Formats: sequence, C-alpha cells, structure tokens
Amino acid sequence: MIHTVLADITPTFLILIPLGVFIGIFFGAIPGMTATMAVAVCLPLTYSLSLNEGLALLLGLYVGGISGGLVPAILLNIPGTPSSITTTFDGYPMTLKGEGEKALKVGIASSLFGGVFSMIILFFFAPALADVAIKFSYVEKFLIIFLALTVIASLSSNILFGVFSGALGVLLSLIGTYDISVGGNGETRLMFDFMVPYLEEGFSLLPVLIGLFGLATIFEEAAKGITEEDLSADLNLSNKVRFSWTVFKGQFINLFRSSAIGTFVGMLPGVGGSAASVLAYTQQKNFCKEPEKMGTGEPSGVIASESSNNGLTGGALIPLLSLGIPGDSTTAVLIGAFTLQGIQVGPLFIGDHLDTWYTMVIALAIANIAMFLIMFFAIKHIAKVITVPKYILFPIIIMMCVVGAYAINYGIMFDVWTLLIFGLFGYFCSKVGIEVAPLIIGFILGKSAEIYFVKSLESFGTLTIFFTKSPIAMFLWVLIFISLGYSIYSMVKTHQKKQEDAQK
Amino acid sequence: MKRILMGLFVFAFTLMSVTGAMASDKLIKGNMRIVIGSKSTGGDTYQNSSIIAEALSKKLGINVKVDAIGGSAGFRTIQRTGQDGTTVMIYHDQAYLGYLYGVKGYEEMFSTYKVGPLLAINPGNAYLVPKKSPYQSVDDIIDACGKGTQVRVAIQPGGVSEIGYTALKNAVSVKYPGKQENLVAVYTGSQADKNQLLFDGQADLINGSVQANEQYTRLPADDQKAMRFVWLTARNQTLEQANPEGMGKTSREELMQFVEPKAWVPYDDKTNFTFDKEFIFLYNKDIKPEIVEYLDNALAEIYAEGKIQQTQKKSFFIPDFMPSTKSAPYFKAKMERIKKIIDGMK
Repeated sequence: MIHTVLADITPTFLILIPLGVFIGIFFGAIPGMTATMAVAVCLPLTYSLSLNEGLALLLGLYVGGISGGLVPAILLNIPGTPSSITTTFDGYPMTLKGEGEKALKVGIASSLFGGVFSMIILFFFAPALADVAIKFSYVEKFLIIFLALTVIASLSSNILFGVFSGALGVLLSLIGTYDISVGGNGETRLMFDFMVPYLEEGFSLLPVLIGLFGLATIFEEAAKGITEEDLSADLNLSNKVRFSWTVFKGQFINLFRSSAIGTFVGMLPGVGGSAASVLAYTQQKNFCKEPEKMGTGEPSGVIASESSNNGLTGGALIPLLSLGIPGDSTTAVLIGAFTLQGIQVGPLFIGDHLDTWYTMVIALAIANIAMFLIMFFAIKHIAKVITVPKYILFPIIIMMCVVGAYAINYGIMFDVWTLLIFGLFGYFCSKVGIEVAPLIIGFILGKSAEIYFVKSLESFGTLTIFFTKSPIAMFLWVLIFISLGYSIYSMVKTHQKKQEDAQK
Repeated sequence: MKRILMGLFVFAFTLMSVTGAMASDKLIKGNMRIVIGSKSTGGDTYQNSSIIAEALSKKLGINVKVDAIGGSAGFRTIQRTGQDGTTVMIYHDQAYLGYLYGVKGYEEMFSTYKVGPLLAINPGNAYLVPKKSPYQSVDDIIDACGKGTQVRVAIQPGGVSEIGYTALKNAVSVKYPGKQENLVAVYTGSQADKNQLLFDGQADLINGSVQANEQYTRLPADDQKAMRFVWLTARNQTLEQANPEGMGKTSREELMQFVEPKAWVPYDDKTNFTFDKEFIFLYNKDIKPEIVEYLDNALAEIYAEGKIQQTQKKSFFIPDFMPSTKSAPYFKAKMERIKKIIDGMK
C-alpha cells in the first residue's frame, strides 16, 4: 500500500498542490470570488489529469480559497468569502489600529491550525463521525442554525435594534422562490410581480455581503471626504505593530474549540461554513474574559473565525468521503472530480480506494503547509495594499467588487445592482441604527433556517418535536439558552459598568 | 533586428490569416457554453454533459464549458441568448416533467425552445428501502398500500423522482382502486436529504440512483445507512445495454432483478410502467437551422467514431444518439404518454 501511495506522489502532484493553493488564495482574496468558484472553474482541467493529481489541484484550491478570504476581510473590511465574515469583526479594527500585518499573520497561523486539526480528525475518525453526522436530521440542523443565530444578541450594541436587524436579514434572505431543489413548492414570495424576473432566485449572497460591508464602508469614507494628508497616515505600515507568536498565549482553548466547531459544522451537510465561523466567534465572545473588547480589534476574534473556517475543510470532507454527501458547496463541486473519473463516493469509498484516501490526506497536509508558507511570507507585501492612497485604492476595490459580483453567477447584471443597492442600504443602516453584522448573519442563515424549520414540521407534524426529537436536540436547547442568557448577562453587566463609569 | 521584426510580423500575419480561415469554417465561433438543468457538479447531468462537452470541444476545435446553473436559470439563459449556438442547454426529462407538474419556471418546451438531439440514457433512476424494511419488492409496497398501510416516499417535487411516485400511485389505483391515497409523498431536496429521511425513519421508500446509492446497498443490514433497491424505472431493454459489470460491485444481472418482468408496476391492466431518464440538448427557439444541423452532424460523427460510447458506458450511461429531427417528435410522444398518468393522478 505504501508503495502505491508513494507512486502517486509524483512531481506533478507536488507542483499542483501549491499551484492550486496559490490560485485559490487569489480567488478567496478577490471579493465576489470564492473557493467554490475556484474549484468549479478548474474542475474541467482534472479531465486531463489522473484522479490523484486532479484531487491534488482541487484540494489546493479549496484550502487556498478558504484561507484567501481573510485578506480583504482584514485589510478592507470586505469578507472575501461568506465564512470570513466574522474575521472582519476584529480583523479590520486591528488594521485601523495599524495592526493589519499582525492580524493577517494571526489569521494565517490560525487557518493552519484549523486546517491541520480538521485533517487529523478526518484521517482518524471520518467513518465514525459520518455515523454521528447522520444523527443530525432536519430538527437538529435547524437547532444548530438557531444556535448560530443567537450570536445576533451577542453582537448587538442595542439588543432591540440588533434583533430587529437580524429579523430583517432573515426576511431579506427569504425573498425569491421556495426552490423545488430543496423540496419547496417553487412559488415566489415577498415581492411584487414586476420584481419576479430579477428576484426569482432572491438576492445573491456575495453581492449582498460585499455591498453591505465593502461598498458601505467606502461610501462612508467618501461621505467623510478624503484629504490628501490623511491618505495613508492612519494606516501607515511604518507604525505597524509587529506580529509575535506570543499573541497565541492563552489562546489554545480558543484555537482548539473553534477548530472543533468548524470541523463539526463542516461535517453536517447543508449547514455551511458561515455558520461555523459565526458559532465559533460567539462561543469565544461568551467564554472570553473581556467580551466587551470583542469587535474592537481583538486577535482572539480573528483566531476564532479563521481556525473555524479552515477547520471546515476537513470537516466537510468527512460526509463526502464517508457517505458520498458533500458537506459544503465547495465539496459539492469536488464530488464532480470523482464523478468525472467514474468513481463512486459513498460509505465504502475509503475501504475500496485506500490509496486515493491516503493521497488525499497527504495532499491536504501539503496544501495546508503550502498555504501557510505562501501567505505568511508574502503577507507583508500584500499588507502594503493599505498604504495605497484611498483615492486610488477605493476605485480599484469598487471595480473588483463589481467584477466579482458580475462573475459570481456567470454574468447576471442584477447582481451588480444588488451590490450597489446593498452598498447604499449599508450606508444608510448606520445612520438609522440598523446593525449590519446581525443583519448579514440573519441573511446568511435565514434560508437554511427556513428550510430546516419547514421540513421538520412537514416531516413530524408538530412543534414539540423541536424539544423532544432526541437527546442531541435537548442538548442544543441547553446551549441555545446558555448562549442567550450569557449574551443578556454580559449586556446588562456592560450597561451597569457604563453607568458606574458615568457616575464617577 | 529589422529582419527579425519583419520575420515576426510576417509570421504573426500568416498565423492570423490561417486561424482566420480556420475560424471561418466553423459555424460556432469562440467558446461554447453548455448550461445544465442541475446546480450540482456531482450529479448525472454534469457528468454526462462533461463527456459530451469534451467530445464536442475536440470535434469542433473550440472551447466548450459546462455551467451547472440549474433548471430555471438555464431556461432563462437560453431564452435570452444562444441564437448563434454559443449557449446551449443540456437537460433531461425534467424539462417537460416540470411543466406537466406545474413547477414555476418550466414552460412548454416544444413551443418555448428548440429541442435538440437526444444524447444518452441514465438507466439508474431507482427506488430504495432500508435494508431492514419489511418490503422485499415494489410489489410488496403496492400491496401494503392496497391493504391500508401508509407508505411514505421521499422525492424531489416536479421531476424524474416524482414521476416514479406518480406511477407507483397509479399502480396502486390499478391494483387496488381507491387505495392510492396510502402512498404519500415526502417532498425534499437533494439526494443527501432523501437518504437522511430514510435513516431517520421518516420515509419508507426513497428515490435515488444506482450511481449514488449502490454503495449503501452493500452495507451490512445492522448499519443504519444500509439500503436495498426495490425498483429501477428503466426498461429491461435499456438496462440490458449497460456494461455487464454494472455499477460498483453490483452487476447488471443483479440490477435486472429490479426491472420488468421481475419488478412490475402496472400502468394499466396489461402493461408495465417504465421510464428511461434521457438527456437532450435544448436551444434558443430562434437558433439558426444551420447551427442545429452543424451540431447534429458533429454529434453524429462523434457517435459514429464509437469512443464516446465507451466513456458513457463506463459511467453507467447508455449511449443513445438521436438527431434533432427525430428527437423532438420522440419526446413529444413521450410527454403525451406521461401526461396521461400525471393527469390521472391529479
């Protein structure tokens, strides 16, 4: 067996992995382009490669694509991929404090930890965990998403406005068709008839995300007015705070917990990477000593977000390789590589194709190391992007956003309008008190929450099933109440502290 | 230096002239985009379309790319563009089944689009029960409904999986009139969701495919994930054309146990219901006739060469080329046959 595996590790195999990682990083880093797109675009290339070489390229793209999302999230406040949304919460404030390079390196090292952690879990426990994953039916998946939604309370600066914003996000996500491909009735809702040609499939996630975060930030800066003097003064890299490994001191539990959450959520088909990073971020906020500092440029927030979204990579491969069911949208494309080679992926895949299985794990390990080396040592050059004068940088970002939005669904102009609409909406949100982070989390998780809620009711016919379905469901309720209770408790505590400070 | 530059100029000019002359021979210029009626790159539509795309790319000497954008988006795309053949669609019977079931976004395909050639059959449209299920055959399921037991079938609405459900319901009504309400549809989405409903005990029978579910049928009975085939909708004659090795470790002979005459789902008193899932090209309604002919001829040559058949068979497809002139009336007749059964069960 070792001979067979070693024979598969050809020079081409070794070249394709870092090449994939490199291309993937670009896809992840360009707003609007994702790891899924990188894998989809390169999938036809695997026709001319052997299965193992094809997988090497695609796994490199996967790891690179997921990791690349942290670059715009940290430097520009634009999540490169939906799963890097929580990276913006602390990463961008760090950049504003002149700690951009430090934040990037923290993110890269955390990504490596999350990726390697999930790879180890995948290697040792894949079939056993796949059996755990199938215990999560519609009901449990709904509760996981509900748990992730509780972050809205924790992230809100005003709980009423926050919950309203979250609910608004959920509502916006439901605009469009209740798709038959998810078992829906194919009917459109929440729109007038004249909107159907544009909104039949609802608003695309990435244009909304980039609009609300990236474009809105640019509009705000533009509204303030840019003078030549402050073009790069506040973000000057010469004032940067240097990265030191000591930043990880005391962060082991955070790293471990967030990577485990990422891996766990990844192995639940249909839940998605954004839920993983949102859950990991909430848990870090709930368990850290100074939750009020989260969101103001705390490295622990970047650690939680990035270790969890890279933890997703190995996690999402668990159901793919043990059940033949992709864990996320990227592994759903990855399955195409097997199909194109005429190979069945299913519960007997690992046993039937041991050499491919070992080669995949080796490719994942190399991809994670390559990702770390490429990004860690190139990052100080990439970080220089923030020294580019804003009057040059912003038009380039807008252009990239527009190109990314146009490309995401292979050339739909309405996606560009979506970007602009949500850019303006995001700008006005800050004026009227609507909170963007809860809104976007509601938007990301709303559709899945609806599907699993409706399907649970259709399957079981009663609301009580959410409480009684299984011990897992009951345990998830405990977590939901703890998460909500803790959010309210810390909010009251912060409020009291503010009042005490004011009295002093 | 001047000579080198002149040489390069002459070379570039010659190259441009030659490629220009070559391009003028091609009726489809530039790239060709094949949108497919599925959003999945792991499914049979993507797999079959990729095989076709690769063969067409070589034959026509152009780039051919498959985009998995889904049914409604695919229809909209070819309605908007593709008169010059640069954007075409590959889909299967759901193209008209969706319309018959009244799914939004599905129009009557013969008047809205131009129906292109038939490409292949996927004989793997299957129905499965848990390995521990009391139902040993599709006949047991029909009988159970007839005797008043409710049987839940997990399907995706408005497509190939629903036609099997409708046919089964019709079979119950033929054998046990009035008892068809005991067969209940559980509407769901992906194959993963259908499998999950079986694992959870929320469905007694699911729609699946030989390709996606064969490995589950090889699991030991005490495994929660273990399944058993009870019915393949394909015709006996269709499945007979598959490779003898079958799929995975299930041979063609073993699969033949789940088609007629072993598995019998009465369409009426005398005939059995069968359904071959077939893949076709769909074009913009106003596509130039010479492009249709050009693609028909290219595909005819590809199939005449015989290589594509091997690739398709390796992936458990049955090669079945039929040019546009024949495929449109063929599908019209097929649709009329299916319409009767759907209308009967409304």
